[in-house]
Amino acid sequence: MFNQLGGGSSNPNKDVEVASPPEDTVSAMEFSPPSVPQTFLVAGSWDCRVRCWEVEASGKTVPKAAQGMDGPILDVAWHDDGSKVFMASTDKSVKCWDLAANQTIQVAAHDAPINTCHWIKAPNYTCLMTASWDKTLKFWDTRSSVPIMTMNLNERCYCADVDYPMAVVGTADRGICLYTLEGKPAEFKRVESPLKYQHRCIAIFRDKKTKQPTGFALGSVEGRVAIQYVNPTNPKDNFTFKCHRSAGTTGGYQDIYAVNDIAFHPTHGTLATVGSDGSFSFWDKDARTKLKSSELLDQPLTKCAFNHNGQIFAYAVGYDWSKGHEHYNPNKKNFIFLRPCYDDLKPRST
Amino acid sequence: MGRKKKKASKPWCWYCNREFDDEKILIQHQKAKHFKCHICHKKLYTGPGLSIHCMQVHKEAIDKVPNSLPNRSNIEVEIYGMEGIPPEDVKEHEKQKTGGGKGSDSEDDEPAAKKKATPALGKVKPLGPGPSSVTQGILPTPMGHVPPGMYHPHMQMNMMPHFMQAPSFFHRMMMPGMRPLFPAVSVPVSTPSKPTFPAYSNATISAPPTTSSASGSDPKENGEVKPPAANSCPLVTATGAGSKIIHPPEDVSLEEIRARNIKYRPKPKPELQMTQTAPTMITPSTSQAEVAAHMSAAVAAARQQQAAAMRRPMMQPVVLPQPVRVGVPVSVPPVMGMLPVMPQFNLMRPLQPGMLLPGGVMPVGVFPGVVMPRYR
Repeated sequence: MFNQLGGGSSNPNKDVEVASPPEDTVSAMEFSPPSVPQTFLVAGSWDCRVRCWEVEASGKTVPKAAQGMDGPILDVAWHDDGSKVFMASTDKSVKCWDLAANQTIQVAAHDAPINTCHWIKAPNYTCLMTASWDKTLKFWDTRSSVPIMTMNLNERCYCADVDYPMAVVGTADRGICLYTLEGKPAEFKRVESPLKYQHRCIAIFRDKKTKQPTGFALGSVEGRVAIQYVNPTNPKDNFTFKCHRSAGTTGGYQDIYAVNDIAFHPTHGTLATVGSDGSFSFWDKDARTKLKSSELLDQPLTKCAFNHNGQIFAYAVGYDWSKGHEHYNPNKKNFIFLRPCYDDLKPRST
Repeated sequence: MGRKKKKASKPWCWYCNREFDDEKILIQHQKAKHFKCHICHKKLYTGPGLSIHCMQVHKEAIDKVPNSLPNRSNIEVEIYGMEGIPPEDVKEHEKQKTGGGKGSDSEDDEPAAKKKATPALGKVKPLGPGPSSVTQGILPTPMGHVPPGMYHPHMQMNMMPHFMQAPSFFHRMMMPGMRPLFPAVSVPVSTPSKPTFPAYSNATISAPPTTSSASGSDPKENGEVKPPAANSCPLVTATGAGSKIIHPPEDVSLEEIRARNIKYRPKPKPELQMTQTAPTMITPSTSQAEVAAHMSAAVAAARQQQAAAMRRPMMQPVVLPQPVRVGVPVSVPPVMGMLPVMPQFNLMRPLQPGMLLPGGVMPVGVFPGVVMPRYR
């Protein structure tokens, strides 16, 4: 499906490199929703820009457009109709980028950098959910400058995910709060964290049969992912597993890396994790097995995404600050790689 | 043998509160975990034994029993198995056992690398130095430091040695008939039972920000004072012996840390067409000053936290000057301030129109910092 263009230590998995990658680390990355016939990829970066590429079936990527904000981008989200992209920034605002007009307009504001934005499409309403380091979660009608609803978080938002009718927010101090979006957004319950370290990424998964959101995977800075059901039929359904840790010990120490992102495969229900260690792994949470682990790259992997039909896995490579600013090398190139993944993510023997 | 007490509880290790089925195993555990010389790995029989060995053989003083709880680290105390445990501790343990409710929150899938080392910092203070002061070369306790009186009543018998690696665990786990290596992995979501680590549970239960004096507050962005959750762990420290978490020590997200960097501060609002290639050093404008105030507050807070963690909690919260909250509304007049004021808010930012997606042509200058030619 893809041309193999790769090679070299920065691309040990021989994946397809996205053309004209961002100038700085990728902080957010999403494929276009199924409502658009083509496949577009948008990525937000610490260079304050959001870029959009068209991904052709050959794997070739064509840069299409870009927009900037006043601060580094922390999250991006597609409108369900694929015509707009929301961009959340440290400049405390979210802007809506109308791709057709290539214009942006501010649609949300917080008192602190906005860490996440998600488009919510409910049968009876649509809105934008934003969560910030100002410890609030807000819901916006994008035509109004005042939020429809503001909810307080216990702590600064570190990660969030939305899959109607469920939303989940992970915060500093190891908080997790679930929301139900049915009718209107409402807090559902606060959950005790299954992890003992700082939350870093969260992704909702669906039940295999009902196809309804039923739980979430939560990643922490301590190389660990928790699989957590909202209403576990059996408490043993919930479990955690280790990942993104150095294989051996170096100098008597095993290095444990942060799980930077988690994405569920849209059709198989299996998941991918990417870590500060510079690798991605595919997992089958139901069989509790690892399906694949990648070769190590020479830089951390910061984000990953599947396209809507689960054919393409994208992962972003760049420094994630896990070793502090001293280790930042602005001259090091940032990458986004694409990889055909449909078969790799097939669940174990069913 | 102190163990044949009324309730005849299982033998347990005074140093780390772990329970064992058999005192023989307990003794093995103590030799391996607490009485092992970190230099030559010789296993001694008691704390004083270890101390004398290190002094005589390696000329090194050991001031704490390796892997012990902070208040149980006294190297002078002579403990062998269940022998030598001070009677009050035995009582306390009994009490914990009976009173502590359903004890084993089976969360301990994690081997030694477990429990943040810090939660206790804020509370345990009188009992002994925090983890940071553990002698070099001696690894932090397997359990982390736990506030006194809330010990983990039931340590899992099958805790894996901490050096066991993850990669293969799935396989082990799948092996039928095997004793579960990860008994714990499943965490009761809504067990009403008393949390084994009360300190932890506050995290998600939205502990009301009462008792703020206890563990200090840290002014954050926008000057809010973060409630000092008991477990607020100011540091990300690898806990296990032999593992290291690759993360800055401060327990703050990488993004927050990175955003503090001057390079990444948001540009002042008025700057319209973003021509910056590398975000420049911004000249302070009003909003910038505000940001700076926040930043420095955050940094100061972090530092303070860290410093406090190093020392003891006591001297923590000298309240920082509230960051200039006033700054916010200042947001320079032109163009959308960050205030949701209707009229300005919906101002459209005039951008080159007409450069559209599918096949749209990129006008020059849209991607200023980027190598244009590549964009077709």
